[in-house]
Order: sequence, then structure tokens, then C-alpha cells
Amino acid sequence: MLRTLFAAIPLAAVMASPAVSGPSGDPAEVLEELIGSTSSYYLTQSEQNLMMMPDNPALWTIEEGEELFRTPRGPNNVSLEECDFGKGPGVVEGVFVELPRYFEDTGEVMDLGNRIIYCMTTLQGFTADDPEIKDIHGSNTDHMKLQTFIASQSNGMPWNNPLDHPLEIAMRDAGEAVFYRRAGPFDFNCAACHGEAGKRIRASVLPHSSNPKEWTKAISWPAFRVGQDNARSSQHRVRECIWQMRYPPIVAGSDLSIALLSYWTDLARGQPAIIPDMKR
Amino acid sequence: MFENKFRVAAAVAALTLAGTYAIAADVDYTAMTPQELAEYLIFEANGFKLDAQVQEESSARDRLVQDELQMVCTETRNNPSTEQAEAIRQAARDTIVYPEGDIVLGDWEKGRDLAWSGFGYRLEPNFDNHERSGPGANCYNCHEFAGDRQGGTIGPSLRNYGKLRASEEEEVSQAIYRLAYGIIYNAHSMFPCTRMPRQGAKGLLTQEQILDIMAYLFDPESPVNNE
Ligand code: HEC
Repeated sequence: MLRTLFAAIPLAAVMASPAVSGPSGDPAEVLEELIGSTSSYYLTQSEQNLMMMPDNPALWTIEEGEELFRTPRGPNNVSLEECDFGKGPGVVEGVFVELPRYFEDTGEVMDLGNRIIYCMTTLQGFTADDPEIKDIHGSNTDHMKLQTFIASQSNGMPWNNPLDHPLEIAMRDAGEAVFYRRAGPFDFNCAACHGEAGKRIRASVLPHSSNPKEWTKAISWPAFRVGQDNARSSQHRVRECIWQMRYPPIVAGSDLSIALLSYWTDLARGQPAIIPDMKR
Repeated sequence: MFENKFRVAAAVAALTLAGTYAIAADVDYTAMTPQELAEYLIFEANGFKLDAQVQEESSARDRLVQDELQMVCTETRNNPSTEQAEAIRQAARDTIVYPEGDIVLGDWEKGRDLAWSGFGYRLEPNFDNHERSGPGANCYNCHEFAGDRQGGTIGPSLRNYGKLRASEEEEVSQAIYRLAYGIIYNAHSMFPCTRMPRQGAKGLLTQEQILDIMAYLFDPESPVNNE
């Protein structure tokens, strides 16, 4: 019933009522405002997706994710409500736009996916081989549900991954180096396809990494991939671009992937996240 | 060197990363330059599956090792100095193997199929089996060719490529054919640090395939010159 609920309740009511699961505010409005503030072929390329935003199937994923989040699970039979995503145990609001970040308890810079794994392991008692943890890129996985719920609680908020700890800076800078590093059979780097505005790979309009207003939509994951009929994560998008580049498969959650995510989040700094978004 | 220095740490990293979130605690990322850390994350910290199956003789790891050209274009962000650019052009020219004698165009229909195929060299999770079908040339991702299908816009439009280069009474000259052949074979010979893949120099396309693609570009019958 989320869809009807969501369409019917005014924005303020959604934000005021913690009992209603849904993103913090309306992603369609965030996107509309962004589109109105600039002129971008990338942002406006799919009229159909823009129209579908209120019926984004990923809104259901949020609901499922919240339920999963609050349900006691795993050998320890506890919920994830005590998980610290960077703003203290139990806080989910606004945490995603400030990831990846350095965590004292692990001594590492972590993204949302890794942090969920950390809490599922340390709090709930899951082990690395459990499907709940292992199934990262599948459809309708626990990961996708949890990530979509948690990330949606940052909808409309400005990207602001901290760059205070030396490791956060080191990872961001290494991510930039990887972004521009040319390699592989085709000599590609990320900038080969994302280094200019308004260019297309065949029919797809590409986001320009130096334009934060385009890049914020580009990195707004989880998003519903219409072509794949499923909600997908940031790590999933990275994997697909890496595959197109003819590189070896990237390891989700590796420090390399976190470095890339640290840089790509920094590129969108200050612009509002659109979560859940819809993409082709 | 770099790799030796981190060998022990890498072994630890490989062990712990097989789990979930833990990494080697004894490697100080903050003591490295961004480039050093990038290389470390790529080659030593389980960032890529370096032993993934590949189509070619060598390894997945080898795909990530930079050659001289990739290094210079990375360092300069595709803006080489005048001297670097000249060195790149010269080195690229040296890679080009031209057909013996005159360039004779191949079969434009085969060329079209190649230009519009994105198949080839992709690895896990959706491995391109080259035994089932040969790798394509991927041109359409970045170039427009004709009105019949939508190509990309990262590279220049190639519509009417041959028509624009032929004069009323004369066919396209051998000099122009050689130029086009050189660009497809190794475009850095003309445009240092271009984003275009080195199709011939890296063995992605055979001489015959390049001549087929050239026919797609130059043949008066080809849709490129008719739509
Ligand atoms: C060969 C071209 C190419 C390269 C190289 C490439 N990408 Fe992409 N990227 C694409 C395409 C195509 C899309 C899908 C855009 C669309 O469907 O509108 C995309 C999408 C994205 C998106 C999401 C935007 C969206 O609307 O789906 C991000 C973020 C992104 N790429 C980041 C990267 C990063 C990081 C790298 C380097 C690891 C990279 N890309 C390398 C072609 C490329």
C-alpha cells in the first residue's frame, strides 16, 4: 500500500511520521528541483522514468528493507537497530550521504554494504558463508532490501562523505587515481565515458563526473534498473562499468571499490541524493 | 621495489579479505601516494579477481598492467606535452603494419557487422565466449555511421565518411585510405592520448577485418554513404 499512501500523503506528513516507511521526502521532487536548476541532457533523458518515479517499484523494497532491519535475526536473534552507520547506534537518517567513512571500531573506511555486513556479523552472528551475507549482487537480496531502506533515509540530503581522517583522504585520492587510470585491452578509464557532458554511448546519455548536478543522480543508488527489473546497488553499477571496460571483475566491498565510491561521492558533494532513483 | 615492499602485507590482506571486511592492519595507506595506493589496491589488496578467466593467452592481471602509452596518458590526463605527444605519435606509427601494396577495401557488409558488434573480451560475470562468435569492433558505441541505426557520440560522426572524401571525378586516394587504416590500427599515431582503442596494435582486429570496416566507411554502396 506504500505506493498509494506515498502519493496521497503530503511530503511534510511523510517526513514527520516515523511510522510510515518510505524515503525521507519525495525523490521525484528532489529530481524535479534538480532538473529545474540546471540544463542537462543526462538528467532529462528518460521522460518515461521521470513519470514513473511515484510508482518506483523500489519503494516496496524500502518497506521490505525496513521490516528486515527491525526484525531480530541471525544466531543472536537481534535486529540491526543497534548498528552504527556512522552517526551512532540505531541512526539511519542521513547516514548514507556520509558514507564511505572511517569507522573507529574496524579501523577502516567502509561503504554501506560493508557496514551492513559488519553489523550482520558482529551483532546478529551471521558468518561470511551465509547467503544473507554472501549474496551481494543478486535480485531481491537482503542486501538490496537493507541498503535501499537505509539509503532512502538520506533522500534529498546533500552528499557529504567526511574527509577528516587521513584514511578517508587516502581512499578518496586513490579512487581518483583509479578513475583516471587507463588500462585494459581498450585503454579505458572511467573518464573515457564520463569525462564530457551530453555524450552518448549508443542511446544512453552519460553523466559527466565534473558536473555535480549530473553526478548526484549518477551515484544515486540503490535505484530501480528498469532494464533489469530490479533494485541495484552502487557496487552493482561499478561492476557493470568495469565489465564494459573489459577489466577483470571488481571485488565488491574491496578497498579498491571503496576508494572508487569515496571519490565518486566526493564528486557530488553538496548536491541532494535521489533515493530511490530510477535508471534505464 | 614497490611490489616487494608489500608482499608480506599482501599475503595477510589476501587471507583476511577472503572473509568480509577485515584488511591487513600493517599496511599504512596514508604513507603512500595516491598512485601507489591505487596500484596497491588494484594488484595487492584483492580489488580485482586477477586470476579470472580471459579469452587471450595472457592473464586477467596482465590486462591491468599499464604500458608506456597508458602511463603517459594517465599521468597527463590525456594532455601530453608537445614532446610527449610527438613521442607517442612516433611510437604509434611504428606499430602500424600496412597491407602489402595498395590498400584494397574489403566487404562492407562484414565491416558493418563488425562495427555494430559490442561482443568480445568481456569477462565474468558474463563471459564472452569467442569460440561461439568472434569479437566485434565496438565502433557503434562511440560513433554514428548512418541514419538507419543510432550510434554513440563520444567520437566524431562518421556519416558519409567516404562520400565526403571523394571528389566528383576521382575515387578516394590511397593516401586517404592509409590515413584511415592508420587511425583504426592505432589512432594515437594521429591523435596522441585519444580515447579510441588501438584496434590493430593491440591485436583486437585483424588486417582483413580492418579492411572490411574500411569498406563500410568508403564503399559507395555502403549505408554510411547513402543514408
Ligand atoms: C565504455 C564506457 C564507460 C566506461 C569506461 C565507464 N562507464 Fe560508467 N556508464 C557507462 C554507461 C553506458 C552507463 C549507463 C548510462 C545510462 O544508461 O544512461 C554508465 C553508468 C554509470 C553510472 C550511473 C549513471 C546511470 O545513469 O546509470 C556511474 C556512477 C558510472 N557509470 C561510473 C563509472 C565509473 C566509476 C567508471 C570507472 C570504473 C565508469 N563508469 C566507466 C559507460 C561507461
